[in-house]
Amino acid sequence: MEIILEDFTKRFGDVTVIEKMNLKIREGEMLALLGPSGCGKSTTLFTICGIHRVDGGRVLFGEKDVSRVAAQQRNVGVVFQSYALYPHMSVFENIAFPLTVRKENKNTIREKVAEIAELVHIGELLERRPEQLSGGQQQRVALARALVRKPGILLLDEPLANLDAKLRLEMRSEIRRIQLETRISAVLVTHDQVEAMSMSDRIAIMKEGEILQVASPTEMYQQPVNDFVAGFLGNPPIAFLNALVQDGKIDVLNGKIQFDFPRNAKPSNSTKIRLGIRPEHYQPNNPIQIPGTISFVETQGRENLYDVKLEDGSILRSIQSSAFGTIEKNSQVSWGVQPDQLLIFDQAGNSI
Amino acid sequence: MSLSAKLGYVFIAPALVLVAVFFLTPVVLTGIFSFTNMSTATGITGGAYQITPSLLRDLSGNGFEKKTLDTIGTESYQVSQATLQVAREAGSHLDLLSELEADHLGSNFKNRREFERFLKKLQNRPRSTRELKSTSPHFKKSLINERFETEIDLRNSLVEMQANLSEEQLNTLIQAAYTGWIWTTDNFHKMVILPETKQILFNTIIYVTFTLLLFNVGFALVLAIATFYLPKGQAGVFRALWLLPRISPSVLYVVLWKWLTWDTGFLNAILNPLGVAQRNWMLDTTLNAWFFVVLINGFIGASMGMILFSSAITAIPKPLLYASEVDGANRWQQIRFIILPQLKWPILFVTVYQCLSLLTSFEQILLSTDGGPGSSTEVWALAAYHSALDNYWGNLQYGYGAALALVLVIIGVIMSFIFLRFFRFQELVRQPRIEQ
Amino acid sequence: MSQNFKNWPILTGLVLATVPIVLMYSYLVLDTVTDTKPGSIFPNSFTLEHWRFLYEDIEGKANIWQVTLNTLVFASSVMLLVLSVSSTAGYALSRLNIPFRREFLAGVLILHAFPSITLIIAIFLILQLIGLYNTLIGVIIVMTSLQLPLGIWIMKGFYDSVPWEIEMAGLQDGASRFTVWYRLVLPQVRPGIIALGVFSFLSGWGEYILPTVLAPANNVQVLSGYLASLIADDRNFEFNLFKSVGLFYATPVVIMYLFFQDKLMNIYGGGTKG
Repeated sequence: MEIILEDFTKRFGDVTVIEKMNLKIREGEMLALLGPSGCGKSTTLFTICGIHRVDGGRVLFGEKDVSRVAAQQRNVGVVFQSYALYPHMSVFENIAFPLTVRKENKNTIREKVAEIAELVHIGELLERRPEQLSGGQQQRVALARALVRKPGILLLDEPLANLDAKLRLEMRSEIRRIQLETRISAVLVTHDQVEAMSMSDRIAIMKEGEILQVASPTEMYQQPVNDFVAGFLGNPPIAFLNALVQDGKIDVLNGKIQFDFPRNAKPSNSTKIRLGIRPEHYQPNNPIQIPGTISFVETQGRENLYDVKLEDGSILRSIQSSAFGTIEKNSQVSWGVQPDQLLIFDQAGNSI
Repeated sequence: MSLSAKLGYVFIAPALVLVAVFFLTPVVLTGIFSFTNMSTATGITGGAYQITPSLLRDLSGNGFEKKTLDTIGTESYQVSQATLQVAREAGSHLDLLSELEADHLGSNFKNRREFERFLKKLQNRPRSTRELKSTSPHFKKSLINERFETEIDLRNSLVEMQANLSEEQLNTLIQAAYTGWIWTTDNFHKMVILPETKQILFNTIIYVTFTLLLFNVGFALVLAIATFYLPKGQAGVFRALWLLPRISPSVLYVVLWKWLTWDTGFLNAILNPLGVAQRNWMLDTTLNAWFFVVLINGFIGASMGMILFSSAITAIPKPLLYASEVDGANRWQQIRFIILPQLKWPILFVTVYQCLSLLTSFEQILLSTDGGPGSSTEVWALAAYHSALDNYWGNLQYGYGAALALVLVIIGVIMSFIFLRFFRFQELVRQPRIEQ
Repeated sequence: MSQNFKNWPILTGLVLATVPIVLMYSYLVLDTVTDTKPGSIFPNSFTLEHWRFLYEDIEGKANIWQVTLNTLVFASSVMLLVLSVSSTAGYALSRLNIPFRREFLAGVLILHAFPSITLIIAIFLILQLIGLYNTLIGVIIVMTSLQLPLGIWIMKGFYDSVPWEIEMAGLQDGASRFTVWYRLVLPQVRPGIIALGVFSFLSGWGEYILPTVLAPANNVQVLSGYLASLIADDRNFEFNLFKSVGLFYATPVVIMYLFFQDKLMNIYGGGTKG
């Protein structure tokens, strides 16, 4: 099912947290709502499922306006951050609950629960109580409970936040597998860019109640609309360098380094700009060399991460394979960039 | 209206009704009743108008002429439809009544003798003197002791008597004849001038101060800190024992104290062989009475503080205590500098809460000394109870009792508001997170 | 706790302070089955005579079993009413969007500290006016109403600690607010319900003033009034009888207390969590 938020506005008391937001979730896709905490992503999720009311605009499920429809009638499956399993019920009763309140036939319920338990791989846990399950198993039960009544859309609120690192990897692919198998439209709320990039078809990145960009993970990584998006995606994060446009060229470090403006639409003379340089793009063999001193080395095993301090004090980051040895702190290096890999932002932070 | 508001109304309605009728209304009514002279004599629903001989006696010293009062007080015998009806219902001789109705309707006789002499002359007169004597009272007409439901009835009857009353006297008489309750501020006046008030105020202060400081806060602290230092099992035994007075039904609990202090009780059984004269330790002197009143209430009151302080002490991070010991603090210093500072709020809380409940409690005193000996342990709340609900004279002074209670109610309201400060109210009323 | 300090001074002090309690309660049990010569401390003979009130009525007093039944009816009705009314009202105040929620809550908070016993005179008159004086129903309703603010306060506290997500999940699963409350939330506050239930039962069982003032008649007498009238009666002044009746009266209380001690601590600590 396709979900459309149209001029969606939300207030808490006098505070407007989201104003006139527009978003479309396509049929069968997994869309990640990504943003720092407090950006309004959970509010958006709670509005789609009907726990919050809209204060303006509409929520459409397909053709149908559900803005005033109660949560119970929306047929939305939700997996909460804490899983919200009912502690006094067995796993079977938990999964069966949505069907029991619909007063479905006992045999049908048993079949449907068995079927969904099979899908999420918890067939042998049905008699247990939630407190006897590991975090990953609880997560699977929560998924099963959300999916058992074939909802039109599945909402996942920080589903991996309560898991340890290893389980997180496992559940990441499991959730994606289940979503793909059921072909259900899904919204994933997360503050973790890795989760968003690895699990979703498209990402909607939010900041202070606004959607900055909606794009596929690759597109968003390569062509962020502004410096915030560029900074939010990628780990280790992108570094920024101040520069000036002069005679169709880019001046770095007060004109010590100059190279041609790599795009067609050139800004006018003397425009101050910021260059975004990702660690993987600041490498020894690149043509435009920017020299500096290594101020920090972090060994990560397969890779090394270097902070390079330039003469004007700004810092660039580089990530390099450790196969070629580790360079000492305080060494002078002269690594370079390739102009067409640079991200260029104007003073306001928007991409050029 | 939203769905949850509808359910909310249904959910809260029973509580609202019950609390409104039996909690809030009594608060208001205590105020209202305290401005009346309600008592057993006046009743609580309105009253009637009745002139009694004693009322007339009281009025004679009050500017009313004796002649006027005598006129009001006279009785007469009258043959009227009304009196005939009374006689008929009482089963008097029917023929006699018919004759009276037919020939003598409206006759008036000054007194009983005259009326009976007249009856004897009638054709259908009763055979026996006894029957005649039983018939005559039905025809008696008198204002004395007759109940008039409304003021108008009494006024008309008084005017009929032609007793020469001035309008002013008539009003005074009618007002004095009213048997129901009236609005008055006398209760408060009485409260201020009565010497007993000073006594019970003094008693209340003694009672609250001593019980609160010695037990509800003082000994509760001792218990909490002492059990904190004991092994878990021992601590549990002491806490359980000290909760016994709190959970025991109060009647039984007080019986145990009585057994301890009675003339032939346990204390005497121990002290007698040592040469101490046998006595009722609870009631023989004022000092002893107070001693036991404070003990009886204190043993109950210590448990609440004990529980609250104990949980506050347990909440102190253990490393803090270990650190102080490593730093060389002795036990007293540890209590003084680590534990007590943590108990500031719980102590304040218990003090306010228990002060309020001690001020208004009287159950244990009622059951043990009942305010005695004399009225030396009569506290304010007990005085209110005694005057309105239970006293030796049987005439329960609802109005005065309510006025005494009103003082406590006002203190209660004020202190309950102070109470609000103990809670982070903003946090308690956070908006529900489901909006439907 | 700490091993750095000696325990015996504390232990001695506490034992001394606790002597009266131990004495009174052990003699309570002992004296019900023994006789003691006047002036003696220790009993000298075993007897079941003091328990005769169980099978023969004491002169001028109501039948003990009738009185016990009244007490049971009284205490359990108060318990059931307090539980059902507080568990709904507490939920409404904790979780539902009702107008004036703030004001209701402030009211509950103020009333839960309010000394309700000061209202007894007005309540006595109200019951006379509405004709419920001298009836068990009247005392039950009054006792319930006076306990409600504390009950609602306690239940609200327990509801507050139930995760919102459980309710949200229930709604998403298609359950109505009522079903969510009844099938999902209520089971989470079971400890609160047990604590409040035991507390109100014990309060009802032990209450003396309300039944005595509001329903003094013999046929609606409860055990507290029965025992008090026994003591007030000069014709048979016999402590061992009082104690037997008292023990009979207090046994259910002590048993419940032993079972639910931990749960009760919270409420006896003033109904505040901590």
